[in-house]
Amino acid sequence: MNYSFDFQSVTRNFGPLLDGLVVTLQLTAAANLIGLTLGFVVALMVMSRWAVVRWPATMFVEFFRCTPALVQIVWFFYCVPMLFNVFLGSVTMGILALGMNLTAFNAEAYRASIQAVPREQIDAGIALGLNPLQRILYIVLPNAFRASVPVLLTNGIGIFQQSALVAIVAVQDLMYQGKTLATQTYRPIETFTIVALIYFAVSFPVGQLVGYLERRRAGLAG
Amino acid sequence: MALDFSVLLRFQDALLKGLLTTLELTLICIVLGCAIGFFVGLARTSDNRILRGVSGFYVEFFRGTPVLIQLFWIFFCLPLLLGTELSNFTSAVIALTLYMGAITSETFRASLRSIGREQYDACVALGLPRWTQTTSVVLPQAVLRAIPTLLSNCISLFKESALVSAVGMADLMFVGSNISNNTARPVEVLTVVALIYFVIAFPLTRAVTFIEQRILTKLAV
Repeated sequence: MNYSFDFQSVTRNFGPLLDGLVVTLQLTAAANLIGLTLGFVVALMVMSRWAVVRWPATMFVEFFRCTPALVQIVWFFYCVPMLFNVFLGSVTMGILALGMNLTAFNAEAYRASIQAVPREQIDAGIALGLNPLQRILYIVLPNAFRASVPVLLTNGIGIFQQSALVAIVAVQDLMYQGKTLATQTYRPIETFTIVALIYFAVSFPVGQLVGYLERRRAGLAG
Repeated sequence: MALDFSVLLRFQDALLKGLLTTLELTLICIVLGCAIGFFVGLARTSDNRILRGVSGFYVEFFRGTPVLIQLFWIFFCLPLLLGTELSNFTSAVIALTLYMGAITSETFRASLRSIGREQYDACVALGLPRWTQTTSVVLPQAVLRAIPTLLSNCISLFKESALVSAVGMADLMFVGSNISNNTARPVEVLTVVALIYFVIAFPLTRAVTFIEQRILTKLAV
């Protein structure tokens, strides 16, 4: 191997990469906001008694879980403007596409932990005369949320990684800036390595946190 | 706008060919990735510190970075480092295999950990050599318990394989976006592409639930 590394061509152009990282983080934060809130609503809909509510929600979840995120994003960028005649900024579109994807995955996480809330707690709520909304807000939600935190965090960091896909539809995120820089400087190895390290530096601590939370939970349970 | 799905009939063969490429790539990477995953899973539970460190770093790195950048790295950088040309099929196989190896190793690690201490003790008591212990006692149980999660990993890989279109490999996604650009009918083409992925992945997710509920409880493992 006689390749001479030149990391300076990348470090000199750190500005665009940082701009890209900011866009990536914005996409992640906004998508998580959508996913955490809508996901809970969709989870409740999936478990609804009424088929009219259950079916569309189930289809939404299954569809987003069973197709590639790339297909969803490309579909969103090409088809939503054509079908509904709405033209939004590319970052907004990216947020919506990633947010819907995360909503489906989080809905599953919430559903699993809602179903794990012991039946007697809900019975106790009924006995105390709480109405259905109160039972959801004060008994199911806090319980289910705490139980699903590790999975929600994993999904959240998953969407941080998936957000690199929006580079393919030309949203100027970290991946896109990296690609541009690699082409401009003719230094793909250095650029892609640094970009990968930036992604890693953000994901790794969150992964460790998830591991810690799971161990602590297992410790509490056992 | 008027939707016209009949345009797709002309491109049946192309889409089928793309689908076959996707499936071929997925299958190759599943087989190779599971093999790597099992040994990396073993390495991560090993007593050897170096082995544990290296395998841990590999897994964390591949799980902590986007698959797209792994693919780009191997597609653009590996040929430069090795000084040889790699076909895009080869680089896609390398990238997705390494990714699959990392995610399945976590699955195997979890199932290895669920094998009780007493089983290892029994192996020692029976005087089984290390290799027999691994292949006849640990492997069958670990694989059986890992099946539902492994199947989920396979579905993830199948979905992630759409990324290879970004490095110009003619898989289902690549063929789909080409057709959609040429015919200027993205809604019809991309919807059908999404449906094809769905039709394959959805039954598999049902199978995961089925295996979890029926087979594993019946076998009581």
